[in-house]
Amino acid sequence: MPADYSAPPGVIRDSELARLLEHPAIWRGRSAARTETVSTGFDTLDECLPGRGWPRSGLTEILVPRFGVGELSLLLPALATLTRRPAARWCVWVTPPLDPFAPALAAHGLLLEKILIARAGASLWAFEQSLGSGACDVVMAWARRLRTREIRRLQLAAERGRTLGILFRSRSAARESSPAILRMAVEPLPQGSRITLLKSRGGRNGSIEIGHLPGGS
Amino acid sequence: MRRLTAQADEASVRISEAASVRALLPAPDDSGRKATSLRSVRRPAGDAPVASELWIGVHLFTGSDALERLATRAQRFTPRVSVAPPDGLLLEVKGSLHLFNGVEGLCSCVASECAALGVQSALALSPTPLSALVAARCGQPAPGGSVTDAPVTSVGGPATGVSFTGKPFIVLGLAPLVGQLAPLPLEALRWPQETFDRLARMGVRTIGQVLRLPRAGLAKRFGTEPLLMLDRLTGRDADLRERFRARERFRRKRDLTYELESHEAVLRALEPLLRELGTFLQARQCSLMQLECFLQHRQAPATRCLLRLATPVADATRLGELLAERLNRLVLPEPVRSCELRSGALVRSMLASNTLWQPGEHGGAVSVESSGLIERLRARLGPEAVYGLQVLPGHRPENTWRAIEPPSQAASVTRKSRAARASHTTPCPPWPPFSRPLWLLPAPRLLSQRNGLPRRRGALRLRGDPERIESGWWDGGEIERDYYVAVDIHGVRLWVFRERVAPHRWFLHGLFG
Repeated sequence: MPADYSAPPGVIRDSELARLLEHPAIWRGRSAARTETVSTGFDTLDECLPGRGWPRSGLTEILVPRFGVGELSLLLPALATLTRRPAARWCVWVTPPLDPFAPALAAHGLLLEKILIARAGASLWAFEQSLGSGACDVVMAWARRLRTREIRRLQLAAERGRTLGILFRSRSAARESSPAILRMAVEPLPQGSRITLLKSRGGRNGSIEIGHLPGGS
Repeated sequence: MRRLTAQADEASVRISEAASVRALLPAPDDSGRKATSLRSVRRPAGDAPVASELWIGVHLFTGSDALERLATRAQRFTPRVSVAPPDGLLLEVKGSLHLFNGVEGLCSCVASECAALGVQSALALSPTPLSALVAARCGQPAPGGSVTDAPVTSVGGPATGVSFTGKPFIVLGLAPLVGQLAPLPLEALRWPQETFDRLARMGVRTIGQVLRLPRAGLAKRFGTEPLLMLDRLTGRDADLRERFRARERFRRKRDLTYELESHEAVLRALEPLLRELGTFLQARQCSLMQLECFLQHRQAPATRCLLRLATPVADATRLGELLAERLNRLVLPEPVRSCELRSGALVRSMLASNTLWQPGEHGGAVSVESSGLIERLRARLGPEAVYGLQVLPGHRPENTWRAIEPPSQAASVTRKSRAARASHTTPCPPWPPFSRPLWLLPAPRLLSQRNGLPRRRGALRLRGDPERIESGWWDGGEIERDYYVAVDIHGVRLWVFRERVAPHRWFLHGLFG
């Protein structure tokens, strides 16, 4: 037994405890667990989110009243950062409702070589495969109705593949519970969007308003 | 009988002194002499030394598509078989002669192989591969089946009877080779027709005549290639032939002790076969482009599941995953009694070194996983369902992008492609970056209008100044449009345009999202 071991057996000293609790797999209520994040590009939104950004692994739900209210522009700065990293993985769009307009994406700084579109009848299957493959940084999907069990499956796949999964759902899903690690609702405003955080591990819930992307009309 | 043998011996010695042609299948009519004379000819006294290699050349007059099958079968005579496409086969038989009852025995065995495949062929035996091939081309086709029984030779006269028609060309030593080749026609060398024409104008029509030409002059007129060929023909230069390798396939069957109904159970039953396939491929450093799986039933015809791959795959687990994906979509008519795996042709693997870093770490490659993802998605969704995006130069919104094959991530690590990427990535768009929508409709959608203003579930409010796009008059896709940003009653920002020509209709073309 080492000579300097002064504490009685069975008692863990504070420093050891702190070190143990720093482990990213341990989540304690409101403590800022060390999750890897990527900045959203909006300072006000960053401040509300745990770890100041989108979680790099796990499922994020974005609830919108209807398609096209500004939910995609919310993600563009993060997508630009992720696709331009030196070891960027794929950015997969699973069954988007329309064709993304490539020149606009490029103008917002996204690297098109990293973008992959998958048009699938079985979009949930494709979503889960991409999330769990470990070959993607971001996977986005547009879903209609999902059961909690399916979302849990997606969440586990996202953690397994260390992937940021973005699921766009309808606003009505806010009443259901969800295993996603981050949930937010987006509403259009005349000069931007209002974002309501519905669920975030260790972050604050509440509403914030952000403007359009800099330079937007 | 003894007298006959003695005669035969005498005859053969005379021949070997004169021309060293060992010919020697007797004429059909004196079949009684055959055995004795053949054996005795093998090593007569005063023979020229036998060369270190002896090649049998086989020329196929018909059925050259059977060449590969013939080469595979010929491997029972010697391990050193090589093919000379499109219609030649070479066997190095020095070491095999004594196993097949000498030259004649071996030749007749080879001839019967050809006959069994139904091809017309001619044989020749010579110390150099090229001369064997050339001599075989000059030989006479032995119709399939009759070669062994009706050999063509008569032991015949000495030097004058040299033999390219009617007798097999058989030369055992290098010394008499040139003399034997001399009367053969030049065409057997298969040089360009122009060369033959020029040589014919010089009066050169046989191999002997061309061999007599001065080397320097020949090289000056016709280049070094014919000279090299002549050297290989006569054995002055080494002639290395690539060894023929028979095509290998993997084929294993597993009979099941009881019948399986579910896909899961069938996949588990296939696992040992897949493991075997993995070790088979690993041992040969080969990959597959195609894998077939047969599931046998009691009554119904066997279920066949064919897996075609975009890139060669050597990893059995990946093959297993893809096969499972394919099998899960099949309907099994009856329980499965046995399963079988058959590989397509093997492809030599391109071996890559492992990366130092984990995927995604410090620039570590992600190529294997990412191509795996694309392949898995495509296996189920179809090849067109997965694509990448590319920007095209131009002003018309419809023509400024297209779907492309997903760019390979493996290539993107190399510096060359990085430079290429810098050059072809997204030329800076000619318009400010935020004036374009993120979503584009496949085709503009007509909007209703009231008082000249567009409506979509209520009146649209137009924002800012219009942007005029006029382009494409040169290729028939002319557009003249004024684009506006509009906001609908739900706060969704839209990209709409108004035609500049009458009737000035309004269209929805994109969403800012």
